[in-house]
Amino acid sequence: MAAVTAPAVRTGTTPWTAAAAVAPASIVVTIGIVLPVVILFRYSLNQYTPAKVMVDAFTIENYVKFLTDPFYLAVLFRTIRVAALCTAICVVLAFPMAYCLARTRSRFKNLLLMAVILPLFVGNAVRAAGWMVLFGNRGFINSMLMGLGITSEPLQIMYTELAVVVGVIAVNLPFVVLTLQAVLEGIDRAIEEAALGLGAGPWRTFRHVILPLALPGVIAGTILSFILAMNAYATPVLLGGPTFQMMGPTVYNQFAGLSNWPFGAAMAFVLMTATLLLTVTSNWLAQARYRRAPAASIKVTVN
Amino acid sequence: MEKHTSDRKLSTRRRLLKAGGALAGVAAIGGWSPARAQAGGRVVIGTWGGDYSKLLSKNIDTPLMAPKKYDVVHDIGGDPERRAKMRAEARLPRGTSDLQGLSAAQMYEMNDAGLCLPVDYAKIPNAQYLLPQMRYPYGVGHIYSGKVILYNPKLIATPPTSFADALDSKHGNKLGIIDIQYQFTMMAAALASGGSMTNYEPGKERLMACRKAGARILPTNEAMAQALQNEEVGICIMWKARAVQWQKAGAKVETVAPKEGIPLYISGFVIPKNAPNKDGAHFWLNEMLEPSAQEAFAEDMGYNGSVSNARIPAETERRIGFNLEERKRLIDLDYGYLAKNDAALKEWWDKTFKG
Repeated sequence: MAAVTAPAVRTGTTPWTAAAAVAPASIVVTIGIVLPVVILFRYSLNQYTPAKVMVDAFTIENYVKFLTDPFYLAVLFRTIRVAALCTAICVVLAFPMAYCLARTRSRFKNLLLMAVILPLFVGNAVRAAGWMVLFGNRGFINSMLMGLGITSEPLQIMYTELAVVVGVIAVNLPFVVLTLQAVLEGIDRAIEEAALGLGAGPWRTFRHVILPLALPGVIAGTILSFILAMNAYATPVLLGGPTFQMMGPTVYNQFAGLSNWPFGAAMAFVLMTATLLLTVTSNWLAQARYRRAPAASIKVTVN
Repeated sequence: MEKHTSDRKLSTRRRLLKAGGALAGVAAIGGWSPARAQAGGRVVIGTWGGDYSKLLSKNIDTPLMAPKKYDVVHDIGGDPERRAKMRAEARLPRGTSDLQGLSAAQMYEMNDAGLCLPVDYAKIPNAQYLLPQMRYPYGVGHIYSGKVILYNPKLIATPPTSFADALDSKHGNKLGIIDIQYQFTMMAAALASGGSMTNYEPGKERLMACRKAGARILPTNEAMAQALQNEEVGICIMWKARAVQWQKAGAKVETVAPKEGIPLYISGFVIPKNAPNKDGAHFWLNEMLEPSAQEAFAEDMGYNGSVSNARIPAETERRIGFNLEERKRLIDLDYGYLAKNDAALKEWWDKTFKG
């Protein structure tokens, strides 16, 4: 009886409760994100003058400048390439880690989870400083290689794309592991056992059962990692140095270094749009694949 | 000559005391006076962090401002961020800082943007000893140094004598260039290639040749210090003051004053137009020019002071200063040219030189 009456009471109050629950976050998002974005967009249509920084205008010249300049386009494509590479490596590395974490019955499971979370306690800049100690010409790696007689001259690792990719992966990996682990925890172990019992090997079980079921986690982890990598700032600055230029530092440089707010705002919008488009497209493609996934898993059982 | 100068200073001091009495009278009808400024209050100073901020506290805030009941707060940040903040706050009736520490070129730029309060030198008695090059209508110079050549004799066999010797492709990857010093690097390359303070174009070809030969581009002054220490870099250009600091830290480098001229680096302070405590800001500027503070900065940081009445020990003067012949070669920058062309220079630096 109570189970019947309770929903009736909740039906009367839910809209107000929901509104009250959503309102604070909505207000914060509106003031903290939407409003600055609107202002930023308006700035991107202004004109730049060295003395006054910007003059009120309605022009798309900043966007045209970006999209017709090979240098800025190269910076954008380099950023997309690095973000895609880091995301792919993160997902490949994170999946087995997340699977082990999800399936382990060890009493140290919480400790293992803490070990994954621990790097997030340290800021990106501090972590990059650690990599600098490793990658420097007199750093640990070069000292070891030269000490063992493998190389005679230090390898240039600092201020290269390799250093940035390693640094970004180190930052993003815990996020992807945690996202995947949460989804894998929800997959019933009996489904895997059924696939194995019906004759599918570990690889087929992974490909046709675990992966399709874990796809929402893979998508979420991919999106998270890609967005973080596209907007990376500290790691490219500290490990990429002055010559390896990515979008985040370039946008900052327009604002703070050159005081060219209109062009900086336009660049920020190009970066935001590119990130959004690529994220939505990859999400849509993965969802399409996900919708086809159940048929594939049935095929396994038939085989 | 020394006595004559001293007498003149004493005479000036007496005049100042009389002027102080007159100002006290003005105070009675509500005008500004040192006495009123000394009533205390909070002064917020936008400044670089690290040693500079610590030395401001040690040499000015604590010994000179605190006894006058002033609470000095440092708003620490890089100059690009603080300049952006000044611009962002420009429309506010009341800003968040009373003073901003900037280079001379940046002070010019901020004034050009209409953000600086004209300095009321009547409120800064110590400004009578200010070197003429350090006195701007919109700001006050604090310290200065000059751009010199640093080289490691172990790696560079022939001592350089000019910017042309230093910024030469023959040094290959032993030549180091600091990214954040793009203005001075382009200026030095221009001076080495027939350019001038109002034309940096001739230096671009030289820089590109160095880049193609493998010159290392390092992000910051600190990265350059490390590269010199590790002997990855054997030659670069830098402020003499920094060279002195690095020599003290153990770097095996020698300095040479380039024969084309020694570009001046001046660091000083401006008062934002919307500073909440303008009187306090003027009072702090006066204390900044106190001989004791200037002497301590020269000793601690290796920069030359901006006043003529500071008594710098001969040994310190020899290390950080410039001899008579070198002083003749000190050249000031054309700040108007820099302000007008900075965006284009940086764009070339980022897109062509580093790209």
